Amino acid sequence: MKVTVKLFATFRIGRFGEMTKEYQPGTTVGDVLNELNLPPDEIGATLINHRHVEEDQQLQDGDTLSIFPLVGGG
Amino acid sequence: MFSEDQIERYSRHIILKEVGGKGQRKLLDGSVLIIGAGGLGSPAALYLAAAGVGTVGIADADVVAVSNLQRQVIHHTPDLGKPKVESAREKMEAINPDVKVVTYKSWVRADNIAGIIEGYDFVIDGTDNFAAKFLINDACVLAGKPYSHGGILHFIGQTMTVLPGESPCYRCIFPNPPPPGAIPTCAQAGVLGVLPGTIGTIQATEAIKFLLGVGKLLTGRLLMYDAEGMDFYASPIARNRRCPICGENPTITALHDEEGAMNACDLG
Repeated sequence: MKVTVKLFATFRIGRFGEMTKEYQPGTTVGDVLNELNLPPDEIGATLINHRHVEEDQQLQDGDTLSIFPLVGGG
Repeated sequence: MFSEDQIERYSRHIILKEVGGKGQRKLLDGSVLIIGAGGLGSPAALYLAAAGVGTVGIADADVVAVSNLQRQVIHHTPDLGKPKVESAREKMEAINPDVKVVTYKSWVRADNIAGIIEGYDFVIDGTDNFAAKFLINDACVLAGKPYSHGGILHFIGQTMTVLPGESPCYRCIFPNPPPPGAIPTCAQAGVLGVLPGTIGTIQATEAIKFLLGVGKLLTGRLLMYDAEGMDFYASPIARNRRCPICGENPTITALHDEEGAMNACDLG
């Protein structure tokens, strides 16, 4: 299945901004976070198709997964 | 009643049917506390003063530094070294003499925040560190005080409005602060100067709508803003039954300071 992954802010450094790739059925949000080596302590919002989801959420064909770091500045 | 000057000053509000004279009176009778006179607090303070919010409180212990001026638009070059709350007070009073500005030249802590937020109708979180953001959430939830959360980093910002007991709070989505040092600060990662202008202005919009009782607040949604891609993501969020402060079995029943947090955007 094809999933588009979008990374934001500092997560783009050394990775990418947006990429569409093949994943196995049953892949979860957490699996993608691990694959991208995104530090768990830095993960802020994870959205599938603009809806907030938890890490155990399974991805579906055609989904867009957006991953934001925590933002604590002001 | 309004003076002739006030009718002229607020005429563009008064002719709005959603505001009118009654709404403008609500603003003049209203009070908003802004915690943090930095990137987010600057536009919020300027717009709340311009709108004629009767009492605006502003809390910050810092002084104006030259690296602030790229985004903290309430502070000007001649204000370098001045307490931020005094710099902010001068600009707000200059914009609108109707506004009573109350300054708190201190950081918010577990032992003073309840007394500071007491008496305000609405609170705006314009702070730059997770310790303060979690403390403000906890204090507002425990006091039943409506507030607007805001955060910025790099090219992204986020904001949500919390009506305690009704809508999800910050801990419903982010139960605990990250460990110290886990998240790059604005001093390390940088922040686009205009970014907090967008988020802080949204926060001021929420405060004004709340005082007016008009429109739909940013509750039950987390708004993420990506300035780089120029995209807004208003993601539906729900209350978390396991939320440590507003869930079914809260483990946080008193205020405490989250240790180890530091300023994220005011340093340097």
